[in-house]
Amino acid sequence: MSRQRFSNRNQNTTNFQAQEHALGPVSNTIMLIILACLLGLLYLTQVTKTNAFSYKIDALQKQQTQLKSEHDDLEVASARLQALERVKNSEVAKNLVSVAPSGTVQN
Amino acid sequence: MQPYQDSVLHQLRRIRIWYAVLLLVSALFVIRLFYLQVIRHDYYQKAALSDQLKQYQIPAERGTIVAHSGNATAPLVLNETLYTLFADPQYVKDPWQTARKIQDVIGGNPQDYEKAMRKDTRYAVLAKKLTKEQRAKVDTLQLKGIGTREAVYRTYPQGQLAAQLLGFVNDEGLGKYGLEQALDKDLKGAPGMLKAITDAQGVPLASNRDNVQIAPTPGKKLVLTIDLGMQQQLEDILKQGLESAKSQSGSAFILDPNSGAIKAMANFPTYNPAEFYKVSDPSLFTNGIVSAPMEVGSTMKPLTAAAALDQGVVKKDTTYYDPSKFKIGDATVTNIEEDGGPGTRSVSDILQLSLNTGATWLLMQMGGGEINQKGRVAWHNYLTDHYQFGKKTGIEQGYEAEGYLPGPTDGFGLNIQYANMSFGQGMAITTLQLGAALAGVVNGGTYYRPHLVDAYIDGSGKEVGNRPLAVKTGVVKSDVGNTIKDMMEYVVSKNYLTYGMQRPRPEYSIGGKTGTAQVPKPGGGYYEDRFNGTFMGFVGGDKAQYVIVVRVNEPKIGGYAGSKAAAPIFGKLANMLIDNFSVTPKGQ
Repeated sequence: MSRQRFSNRNQNTTNFQAQEHALGPVSNTIMLIILACLLGLLYLTQVTKTNAFSYKIDALQKQQTQLKSEHDDLEVASARLQALERVKNSEVAKNLVSVAPSGTVQN
Repeated sequence: MQPYQDSVLHQLRRIRIWYAVLLLVSALFVIRLFYLQVIRHDYYQKAALSDQLKQYQIPAERGTIVAHSGNATAPLVLNETLYTLFADPQYVKDPWQTARKIQDVIGGNPQDYEKAMRKDTRYAVLAKKLTKEQRAKVDTLQLKGIGTREAVYRTYPQGQLAAQLLGFVNDEGLGKYGLEQALDKDLKGAPGMLKAITDAQGVPLASNRDNVQIAPTPGKKLVLTIDLGMQQQLEDILKQGLESAKSQSGSAFILDPNSGAIKAMANFPTYNPAEFYKVSDPSLFTNGIVSAPMEVGSTMKPLTAAAALDQGVVKKDTTYYDPSKFKIGDATVTNIEEDGGPGTRSVSDILQLSLNTGATWLLMQMGGGEINQKGRVAWHNYLTDHYQFGKKTGIEQGYEAEGYLPGPTDGFGLNIQYANMSFGQGMAITTLQLGAALAGVVNGGTYYRPHLVDAYIDGSGKEVGNRPLAVKTGVVKSDVGNTIKDMMEYVVSKNYLTYGMQRPRPEYSIGGKTGTAQVPKPGGGYYEDRFNGTFMGFVGGDKAQYVIVVRVNEPKIGGYAGSKAAAPIFGKLANMLIDNFSVTPKGQ
């Protein structure tokens, strides 16, 4: 027997409706606050992480500067050691014997 | 029930009161925050940024200067970081004890340190140019109120070598004299900038998207045309030569006539550019070769002969009768006694005997047989347009002088003035102008701009060569250049004994010409007993490979300054080049 048949007899029918579980305004607010906090936390984590890199960058830059400075110091020291005046006054140079030019060899 | 209701009502009232209080307090906070964050936003933003936002200028590294040394290069000027020791006298409790401790570490006078530390200032410099080691020692003392600051200085590994052509950098960081002045823009580069939010220690925080970082552009590195070994030998030979000639000052340079590249250039006396602040006579800073015009005397004669030959008014085998004196207006042009009096002379004789009358005769030929406006204009044209006199050469040096040439058409006594100019008097040019003009004649007729920079290297290592710049072609015809070369070779071959030179080696061509000019008085006229000597010449094989010009100021030995003082230096330089710098012999 179909439901249609009962209705024809003017019998009451039952209206079945699925029950909706909507969140209330308080829950929504709390969730939004929690979300905002999470986002804030995420932002702070990222900013802190990025800023932590600043120290690494700074340390690397200082190291680079120091290495450059050491390189420059060594370059100056090397140039001084090879200076003509120093070479001229060295023991090796003092022991050299001068010779008169002997002309040019021609092929 | 009544008491219970009363109690509930009482509690409700209390809650409402607290609620109202809370609202009020919250409202106060909101209002205060609104005031601080919205109304005073700009003010507090500024205040916060002033603490957190740091703006630094990043100094650019000044370009270094290197020279050729065989097939490699060697530094002439480098940068060195040294330290300035300073005191903040407000924090120094016992200046004398502090001064003693500093003296133990860096030396110096403790009284001076103490005096500086007693000054009414917050910053007193105690010492400059401390080394890294000295700075570390001072730091270990942990003296209150004493600190060090980094400063970059120019350093000169070769000491005084080439001082005047290098110049120096003063305390304000400006290039002064020489290359440092002329190429200051290229050498200093451009500073960078860092604008960033920083933490309390001043470390830039990477998270700020508005940070600005512009890297500095380092100054260009200069590779000079100078050869270090040649420069050292030139300086040694010049110094010895000046001592032998009992002269207080002089200069010499070696030029490649086929490119205009200066291979060596020196003046004496010189100075130590690292201690430029100790020099009391500023004339020591100048490179006289480019900045001190002078009357060059008879070294002008080969150029006069070249002009006459090039115009075709005389031929290389032309002879003429030389009367030994020419009367021009009220003045008389004469020769020196040793020239043998009147007689028939050739163009070669004019150079070999250094005849003033011969040079005057050449000028006459330019005017059709007499000194007139036509001849003066023709000679002036050669001087300015062909030999580039009266103009700066454009060499990379500070304070280059252009010299002085009288015009050919305006003024009184122009005929005698131009007669004087034909043998190098009555006009003033620098020895560099003279050498560059000779180079233009003996290389076959191209005037190259004399230059000291072979290449520029930028911060990325890109090298840009400084190509030889031909300012003028057709200075003289190439056969005229060869004729002048032959004539100058003849001069040396006939006079080398007088010049105190060793016999020219036959496989090489060595040519030259002396010049002895009276020193002009400041108010006009000349000193009778003061002379400057010059010698200009070349050395090479079939081609002239080097042009050399030597100047000796007021030598105190007997004989003519050009032949007795300047020529021996030229001779030594020519032999030095043959022995050490691969001069190609004739026929190769």
